[in-house]
Amino acid sequence: MLKILSWQSRLIFAAFFIPIAAFLFLPLMWMALTSIKPEAEIFVRIPTLWPSATTLQNYVNLFSRGDMVVQLKNSLITAGGGAILTVILATYAAYSFAKFRYRGRKPLMFLMLSAQMFPFAMMLISLYPMLQWAGLLNTHLGLILAYIILALPSGTYMLYSYFVNIPTEIIEAARADGAGELYILHRIVLPLAMPALVTVGLYSFMWAWNDLLFSLTLITQPDLRTVGPGLLLNYIGESRSDWGGAMAASIVSSLPVVIGFAFLQRFFIQGLTAGAVKS
Amino acid sequence: MPVTRHRLRTPGLKAHERRTGFLLLVPALIAFSAVILWPFLQSLKLSLYKFTIDMEQPQFVGLQNFSRILTEPGTLTIWLNTLVFVVATTTLTFIMGLAWALMMNQSFKGRGFVRAASLLPWVLPTTVTAFLAAWIFNGQYGVLNAVLLQTGMIAEPITWLAEQKGAMAAVIITKAWLSVPLFMAFFLAGLQGVSSDQVDAARVDGCENAGVLRYVVLPHLAPTMIIVTILGAMGNLQAFDVIYAMTQGGPIKATTMLSVEVYKQAFQSWDMGTACAVGVVWFVTIAVPTVFYLRILFKREG
Repeated sequence: MLKILSWQSRLIFAAFFIPIAAFLFLPLMWMALTSIKPEAEIFVRIPTLWPSATTLQNYVNLFSRGDMVVQLKNSLITAGGGAILTVILATYAAYSFAKFRYRGRKPLMFLMLSAQMFPFAMMLISLYPMLQWAGLLNTHLGLILAYIILALPSGTYMLYSYFVNIPTEIIEAARADGAGELYILHRIVLPLAMPALVTVGLYSFMWAWNDLLFSLTLITQPDLRTVGPGLLLNYIGESRSDWGGAMAASIVSSLPVVIGFAFLQRFFIQGLTAGAVKS
Repeated sequence: MPVTRHRLRTPGLKAHERRTGFLLLVPALIAFSAVILWPFLQSLKLSLYKFTIDMEQPQFVGLQNFSRILTEPGTLTIWLNTLVFVVATTTLTFIMGLAWALMMNQSFKGRGFVRAASLLPWVLPTTVTAFLAAWIFNGQYGVLNAVLLQTGMIAEPITWLAEQKGAMAAVIITKAWLSVPLFMAFFLAGLQGVSSDQVDAARVDGCENAGVLRYVVLPHLAPTMIIVTILGAMGNLQAFDVIYAMTQGGPIKATTMLSVEVYKQAFQSWDMGTACAVGVVWFVTIAVPTVFYLRILFKREG
């Protein structure tokens, strides 16, 4: 779109590109480098850029502690569960909003979307005694239910704007052929909407995987802890100065989402922004 | 449910189809009511009660919580902290996200990889981001101080997170870092709609890159800019994790936003009435951008 051919425009491009690239990527490199430095090279005022002696000791320590693996497992269960539940609920709701007309449709949609202005912590305050009453504090299920809060409203809207763009003629043709409503949704609409489903799933998985607030409050049992609070409680407090260990733990706990993203990022940018810009 | 009146308006859809439509919504509606709407309404109610850890039952006190928090000078400080944080973070993220999206829209070797990699800051768990930031901003061994000292920009190391202004700056920069990818994604999608005919026409009219940007690209992005700003403000108003993990709201109350205050009142002081009253102030603040957002969405729908 812009022409970057002359040396002047190349210079201007570089003048914007280099600072922002440095801002985005240097911290990540620093995390990786710190994690393979021996302690003696970490605690210096003017650090070396490249470690003179690399070590994997931080990673060895991490896995010999063992709780990292447990926390990763807990995060996978709760974030995965929350994402699956959110996608299922949001899919039916969004399809209903997009392709059916009934009384109260608009007000209900408005209500669900306006939930994005409810402060998370306020819902948590009253959800806490509810989960306590139901015996769901310190359970995976309780946390999974709480994770609906994070992405159900926005996920429903993303899917809604995707479904709206699927031509109604396809659905009507299937109806004329005598196909049931659920058959139409499951066999005809959903296969078309796969990128959107993946996006919403990934989006809510990310929210849940990144969560600190809910997990910190609803889970107090160490063996049920997820990675967010796990990292925080392990490395801040008791051994605040183990920066090499903290960076190694950070990298390991980021890997699952990074790998997931590497495969699905193409869908993600499309799907995430479909509702906000187009339609 | 009286569907007969409705049938006249949408003759194409039979009554049982409408019923199916509503039934499809039911599971989400139940979940929504149970974990979002009901807890929220309960908390609104609780803001009119005194309910601390030593009490068995909440006790109705009317608007006492509000008159107390609204006369405390600390509340204004927290509200202003929130405002500074939201405005600064959203602006910083907006500028970098837009610039980065424009560059990621150019074709160059390795663009696909750089584009994908620039989502990383957003993908990392918030605690990880907070750790990384705390390590970079570390007053004694942090790399930022080392760079600033080596280049002669400062003479003495700055203890970022231990100083009021330093901590606020660090939190703002960190939150901007992790939100740039999201803003970039929105702008990139907006850029897909720029017509190359218009760009060519502007070039024929003698426009250089700057002119193309100013007269074609940026006007086209205007709706995206509005949405991104509003969504960014909403997200930054909700932000808790990264702030809490970096500073716990300190030093003193320098980085205590409404989100952090509600959490602390509720789950550290176990004073639910006060927490919910602060929460109402927070809710009203988030409502401002959200109302604009909803108006745009529903206008678009017609």
